[in-house]
Amino acid sequence: MAKLDNDVFFASIVELNQRLLKKEFTCVELTRGFAERLEQQGPRYNALALSLREQAVKRAKDIDGELKRGRTRGALQGIPYGVKDLLSVKEHPTAWGARPYTGQVFDFDATAVERLGKRGAIPIGKLAMVQLAGGGGYRFPAASVTGACMNPWNRAHWAGGSSSGSGAAVAAGLVPYALGSETSGSILTPAAFCGVTGLRPTYGLVSRYGAMALSWTLDKVGPLCRTAEDCGLVLAAMAGADAKDPGSAGKSFYYAPEFQRPFAEIRVGYAPVDFDGWVAPEARAAFQAAVATIRGLGVKMVETRQPDLPYNAVLFTLLNGEMGSIFEDLIRSGKVDQLADAKQIAGLKASLDVPASAYLKAMRVRTLVKEAFDKAFYEEYDVILAPSRTAPASPIGMALDAGRGSSAPGPSDRGFTAIIPAGNLAGLPALSLPCGLAGGLPIGIQLVSRPFNENLLLALGKAFQERTDFHRQRPPA
Amino acid sequence: MTRRDLGAAAALALPLRAEMLLAEQAQPAEAAKADPAKEDLVARARAQVRSAAAALDKVALPMAVEPAFVFKP
Repeated sequence: MAKLDNDVFFASIVELNQRLLKKEFTCVELTRGFAERLEQQGPRYNALALSLREQAVKRAKDIDGELKRGRTRGALQGIPYGVKDLLSVKEHPTAWGARPYTGQVFDFDATAVERLGKRGAIPIGKLAMVQLAGGGGYRFPAASVTGACMNPWNRAHWAGGSSSGSGAAVAAGLVPYALGSETSGSILTPAAFCGVTGLRPTYGLVSRYGAMALSWTLDKVGPLCRTAEDCGLVLAAMAGADAKDPGSAGKSFYYAPEFQRPFAEIRVGYAPVDFDGWVAPEARAAFQAAVATIRGLGVKMVETRQPDLPYNAVLFTLLNGEMGSIFEDLIRSGKVDQLADAKQIAGLKASLDVPASAYLKAMRVRTLVKEAFDKAFYEEYDVILAPSRTAPASPIGMALDAGRGSSAPGPSDRGFTAIIPAGNLAGLPALSLPCGLAGGLPIGIQLVSRPFNENLLLALGKAFQERTDFHRQRPPA
Repeated sequence: MTRRDLGAAAALALPLRAEMLLAEQAQPAEAAKADPAKEDLVARARAQVRSAAAALDKVALPMAVEPAFVFKP
């Protein structure tokens, strides 16, 4: 039996695939090794919702047979991964992180899981999440049936959400990669807080069939990995038209960063105030070094800021309007009171109060958001560079709506501080890259581009990771 | 079956094997600490819904701007 060490547990998909093909270990050994590690250490961070070890090892035996016969299916073949417990895995519980749904089982795989399966990927566990992907607004990290998900870099701090377990499990080397989802920040936040690479694809690029709906017009499924290259490989396996998802864009994705324009032709828009004024003081040096690294790629840096629109009000109204309809039965039946966060319960109840006139107005302002970014991506920049989050992860017991740092007002220039709601409203893809530590906790930068331009983000991300090693750093043992 | 069926009674009830439920071994979710009365929280949440709607009222919206959703017949 091959001995799997930390060099295996913290390897990228590409590295693992190469070692598997060289027969350094079998797929069964790799799968069993990761699955046992996930079972033993996942609960340490409250990152694991459900182990899928038994099924995974059976699948791994099949994959070993395929490899023996020379039937190869690409880099994901034989590589274990984790699934946010928002996505269905056939005949296993899918609880959505919420007590009212702990007995829920679907008799089909989510499309994303099914497509990864066709490439030989092996799901080894359902990963913890904030209940109902945070719909309603939660006050504490403990807003989950599995409890507050702890950050592998410092267990006294939060892993971020709502894809909490996905971020923590990848960071701790419990899975080589994981599936997460984002409505507004739920991939980028745990990626930044846990020091991993997270990709939020363009809205509609990856099927949401089999994924819990929080907002029909905002939800996206995406990967959290060790590298930008790995994100590209996973996205290529999952993306594509799906008639079972009404929001499907009907477009495919082929990972091909080498065919991008030369970096010297790429315009990167950024707001210096984001990195000088908005980020936490202890993170400033690392963020500014990251900006210098991006500049060092030879791109054209353009100082600018986000278009001036009420992104938070638009997103809040749309999200609440759709969420209220999706969870109306939960709310009216009273089962919403079983949830683990009082603020979230209240938010869900209040969501039924969103008038149609407000929802439609928000949708019309959303058209203006889309037009503003279409114009900016044509006239001003090809990519936006901003902090993924302006501070590292908060302490685990701290209320998320508590102010952090100085009580002095922030800069008057908003820079790109609303790029998370804005980018989600416009359906834009974003890539979060680890870029250093602040007080021992990871921080990340995000690159955002126009719809269906993931290859440019991944090319820039790959180049950034060739010049830095933050994506290779491991949490303290 | 479409994505819309997911929240409905499409769930298949299967007996859950004890070894599958590692979530049982996790720390139980903690209740929110020292929050105001639940009714007060709901009132605040409703006020937030109203203030978001009020913020949207300040945006100049020409009549020609249509909602950003797509209907495909």
